[in-house]
Amino acid sequence: MKIVVSDVSKDFKSSVNVLNNISFSVVEGEFLSILGPSGCGKTTLLRILVGLLPPTSGKVEKDGIDITNASPSERGMGIVFQNYALFENMTALENVAYALKQHKDAKATAVETAFEMLKVVGLENEKDKRPGKLSGGQQQRVAIARTMAMHPDVILFDEPMSALDVDTRLSLRAELKQLQTRFGTTMIYITHDQEEAFALSDRIMVMDKGVIQQLDTPGNIIDHPANEYVDKFVKQNIQIKIDSLLPFSRKTV
Amino acid sequence: MRKGRHLSRSLTMVLIAFFLLVVLLPLGKMMLFLLTTDVGKITSSDRFLTGLRNSLTATLVATLLSVSLAMVLAWFLERSAITHKGLWSTIFLVPMLIPSISHGTGLVILFGRNGLLTNLLHLQGSIYGFWGIVLGSVLYSFPVAFLMISDILRFEDYTPYEAASVLGIPQIKQTLAIFIPYIRKPMIAVVFAVFTQVITDYGVPLMVGGQYTTLPVIMYQDVIGMLEFGKGSVIGLVLLVPAVLAFIVDSLNRDRASSSFTPRPFVKKEGKGTLLMARAICVLSALFILLPIIAFVVLSFAKKYPVNMSFTLQNIERAFSMNAGKNLVNSLVIAVIVSCIGTCMAFVSAYLTVRLKTPATRILHLFSIVTLAIPGIVLGLSFVLFFKGTFLMGTLTILILVNFMHFFASPYLMMYNTLGKINPNLEDVGQTLGISRLAIIVDVIIPQSKSTLIEMGTYFFVNSMMTISAVSFLATSRTQPLALMIPMFEAQMLLECTGVVSLMILMINLGVKGLVAMTKKQLEKR
Repeated sequence: MKIVVSDVSKDFKSSVNVLNNISFSVVEGEFLSILGPSGCGKTTLLRILVGLLPPTSGKVEKDGIDITNASPSERGMGIVFQNYALFENMTALENVAYALKQHKDAKATAVETAFEMLKVVGLENEKDKRPGKLSGGQQQRVAIARTMAMHPDVILFDEPMSALDVDTRLSLRAELKQLQTRFGTTMIYITHDQEEAFALSDRIMVMDKGVIQQLDTPGNIIDHPANEYVDKFVKQNIQIKIDSLLPFSRKTV
Repeated sequence: MRKGRHLSRSLTMVLIAFFLLVVLLPLGKMMLFLLTTDVGKITSSDRFLTGLRNSLTATLVATLLSVSLAMVLAWFLERSAITHKGLWSTIFLVPMLIPSISHGTGLVILFGRNGLLTNLLHLQGSIYGFWGIVLGSVLYSFPVAFLMISDILRFEDYTPYEAASVLGIPQIKQTLAIFIPYIRKPMIAVVFAVFTQVITDYGVPLMVGGQYTTLPVIMYQDVIGMLEFGKGSVIGLVLLVPAVLAFIVDSLNRDRASSSFTPRPFVKKEGKGTLLMARAICVLSALFILLPIIAFVVLSFAKKYPVNMSFTLQNIERAFSMNAGKNLVNSLVIAVIVSCIGTCMAFVSAYLTVRLKTPATRILHLFSIVTLAIPGIVLGLSFVLFFKGTFLMGTLTILILVNFMHFFASPYLMMYNTLGKINPNLEDVGQTLGISRLAIIVDVIIPQSKSTLIEMGTYFFVNSMMTISAVSFLATSRTQPLALMIPMFEAQMLLECTGVVSLMILMINLGVKGLVAMTKKQLEKR
């Protein structure tokens, strides 16, 4: 499975060049992070990939088939949002089973499959709780389980951990990586958090002002930034973190 | 996905066309009527100028009193540790369940020439005229102000006061620097809402106005009695002005703050003096609100007011012999249909405007709230002018239509706010999971909006049961709703029967409200 994005651009009535001739490809089982500041066009790109938004121009292909105009449900992709988008009136189990029940072939085994997926994300004991009774991290796990239950080829994550506390982020980050290794699902992950992107990704795409600034491995982005923007965006932020921690480490020494 | 998009676009266009046909075209027709009317002659006539002056004076005083009373009561209920808050709120909102004209009836029975309290306390003077209108209007409009101000106070954040106290800023300065700026804008909306409600009402002035004629009464008498549609249109236009102003002010002041903001609650004042004052004011206000209602309840069972107050059921029999039963059925049919269709249409409109933001849905939003700016009496007149001679005139359908339009905006806004708080990505997730938009609406969004849907249905029902302003020009003897029997009985000097009708409306609305409260409690338990 391979996704190829060719010359995708997007203009809105209120703003033009939100995306400007974006081209890249993602290979099967890859974990690609799209990193950039707010308003750089990363969420627009994600919505085009999953089919929630049509591009103004350009093409999206999956396994050599043009899916630019295919509906989201035909693309074999799933999406996990920052705000979980869970069905508040349903329990965790019902949330996962609901989508399965809408499909004839999965209907009969929907509840069992849903329960298995909850087990995978460690929430089998919370299956009867509604989202309101779950913590932020647990809700995001339910959202991941719901998406994975449909066995998509690709899962897209739209800043899924932005609303979570540091501890939950760290544990969810590790779980996500485990899931990807276990199921071999291709994952495209949007974030503005460098630490997250560097910890999770096989490759990172740094974006700014609707343009790809660099697409490379985390190591190469640190060692060989493509331009001044990438250098500043990545290194300066890391330096700020180091600088802010240094005084504390000296005190403890 | 494309099929769904077509469907929603078509639905939006159908709804826009519907609003055009049922609101804007009738209003346009009313405006056109002005071209063939000698506007200058009407507006310079003594009758019009006196009516305008009376309307403005009585409305200003009533608004001032109504908002002040509402402010005091809302403040004590929200800021003090007074007990039985639910009970007090319920009592203060009871006036919303009866027509304005019933408040007038209550005042006549209490303070009329041979009123119960007039005789008991040997009161001098007359309730008929300026003070009658003011008192009746306060009773009628106060609950709306109370509800709005309670909401404003409930959502005020305590944090700035805490910070000010830590800094040693005295209470009076805190009030001037924090409370006044916070409440200023929403209070303007409250004042406009109450002012519009009072100035466009003709129920109270019709009953207790006496010689003190106001514009809506002139409009009612001229259109109903003399079929002077031109004069009616001129007054309609004048009455539109405060309503349109209120609409603009409300739109400008509408809270754009994040719905997820949870204010820090106030520490309730527990001082003995505060609690004593709170109780005293609540008891006195409850008496003021309930006495006129108790009066028409008593009147319903009195043999002959005021000479023979012994108990009888004859008034009920008499009212039913004069078609109260048939008219009750009319009212129930109208209220149930308006409630069902209105709730569905308000939901669909709100769904389209909140969840599918397109230029067309923005127009639909504007059309959906525009009826807030049209008083019932004006809407009714514009319907008469527009639908005159069509098959709709004289049918229950036109009464359903006018009620539906008259009350559409508030339930629409209720659902608009609720849907705005529901996760915006549900449909997106549905699309990627292969769940249709309809399934998400039916299985996820409607269950999450159940409580609001019930509130919307109740709002349509209760208001359709008690309105007289929107339907008075359109009803015939065959289609007459129950509430219209009040002015009819009053004209025939059958005050006891007006009491019976008011009581019937109150009981039905109370019953529906009670049922809804129980249902909502059950839903919350789940």
